[in-house]
Amino acid sequence: MNARRPFMDSGFRIEIDRTVCDAYGTCAELLPELITLDEWGYPIIAAGNIPEPLLNHARQAVESCPIVALRLAKVPTPQAETRPDRQTGVPPWPPRPPQQTPRKSMPRKR
Amino acid sequence: MTARLLSGPALNLGAEPYDAHRQRLGALPGKAERAGLIPAIEAAGLLGRGGAGFPVGRKWASVAGRSKGQAIVLANGAEGEPMSMKDRVLMATRPHLVLDGVELAADAVGAKKAVLYIGSEHAGARVAMEAALRERPRVVDTRIVTPPVSYAAGEESAAVRFVNKGDPRPVTVPPRPFEKGIDGKPTLVQNVESLANAALIARYGAAWFREAGRAETRGTALVTVSGVTTPGVLEVELGTTLADLAAWTGGTASVGSPVLLGGYFGSWVAGPDAWQMPLDPAALRARGLAFGCGVVGFMGDSACGVAATARIMDYMAGSSAAQCGPCVYGLRAVADATARVATFAAHPDDLRRLRGWTESLVGRGACRLPDGTVGLLRSALTVFETDWAAHTAQRRCQVRA
Repeated sequence: MNARRPFMDSGFRIEIDRTVCDAYGTCAELLPELITLDEWGYPIIAAGNIPEPLLNHARQAVESCPIVALRLAKVPTPQAETRPDRQTGVPPWPPRPPQQTPRKSMPRKR
Repeated sequence: MTARLLSGPALNLGAEPYDAHRQRLGALPGKAERAGLIPAIEAAGLLGRGGAGFPVGRKWASVAGRSKGQAIVLANGAEGEPMSMKDRVLMATRPHLVLDGVELAADAVGAKKAVLYIGSEHAGARVAMEAALRERPRVVDTRIVTPPVSYAAGEESAAVRFVNKGDPRPVTVPPRPFEKGIDGKPTLVQNVESLANAALIARYGAAWFREAGRAETRGTALVTVSGVTTPGVLEVELGTTLADLAAWTGGTASVGSPVLLGGYFGSWVAGPDAWQMPLDPAALRARGLAFGCGVVGFMGDSACGVAATARIMDYMAGSSAAQCGPCVYGLRAVADATARVATFAAHPDDLRRLRGWTESLVGRGACRLPDGTVGLLRSALTVFETDWAAHTAQRRCQVRA
């Protein structure tokens, strides 16, 4: 088990361009677990990465936005420990499991 | 008071000419010595003076690492903070120190072009900088750009957008200007006071820079002091106390009166304890405060903190670039509610909603205008707690009874 990346964590988070968002609210309808709306209808997005079981819902929420204000962003994982130690050249132990690739294609790029 | 940036001829004589500047401070160090400038700035511990306080050396290093000789330097003298005067005073009186800094920064990050970004309302500063550019040899291809009067125009992504497209509104980041800025090139956006400090570190070194300072963070800073007998811009050692500042500027009505620290993006502090704390970025951060751009606004005993805060909230709501919904509607709602409290017309749940907005509006804009605004509100709700209560419950002002 990789301690730094528990299996519940999808490794993605939702990013919003607030200059684009126009309070359509579809995202909160499709992903109420992570997105609520404020009193003016603008989304409040839960902090942190998307839990794995919600990733598909999150993808739908992102794709539902009529003005493409949302995107799924891969969260960079710390790579430092995967490199060999600078002084000794010894690779870290235990080795990290191979990175999971997302199952579906990435959302359209804005 | 410790004059470094502002040493030399009296400030009321205006811009120091190039010859006098060179005679007083000597020429800039040669190419060989300049190679060590970024490490020297890091060793000096110089923090940016535009408000965010980001380490200057680290910023230069990250632009230099991406530059490939293509970077651009933007000297930020927009100074949109209504209570700050220090950038325009520096540009109007020591233009060549700023231009020295631009030249050194361009050299250090690998830039051939620079932009002097000077708020269009700062006519004196612009004239001085234009004249200074004509006086000295043209080492860097430098032009002057003047953004309109606006709080947000000085924010770094807004500055880059204005230079690129004539639109002074912030942009969603990343990419940040140091990655992709003017003409898509890595851009160093640096406050003019930070650049002037770099010009002194280049001449005298990090150890000299660190000789000044009364607390953890070293060096001097320009501060804009108001609400005192002789308001204006001073250069002081970091770590100076509010009590010292009050004493040097002719004093205020009473010790411990509320102070607006850091301007409209800052916080209210009050009490004799607050007057004794060092104006040191590290110590202030530990208290949840910020040195910001060095604004120190003493409030008179006869002024009402609620009314003063309501005026600031209204200004900030009007300063929204009108791009992000939570900023447009949130800051207007904050301004309206504070105005109702200040005029004894509060709705029953106004105070509760104001407290809620100090949490819910944080991080909800492309730039940090909502964060700065509700940060000031949060401090006002604490420092003037009994005043807010009196305004809402008894519908009277304790100060202006």
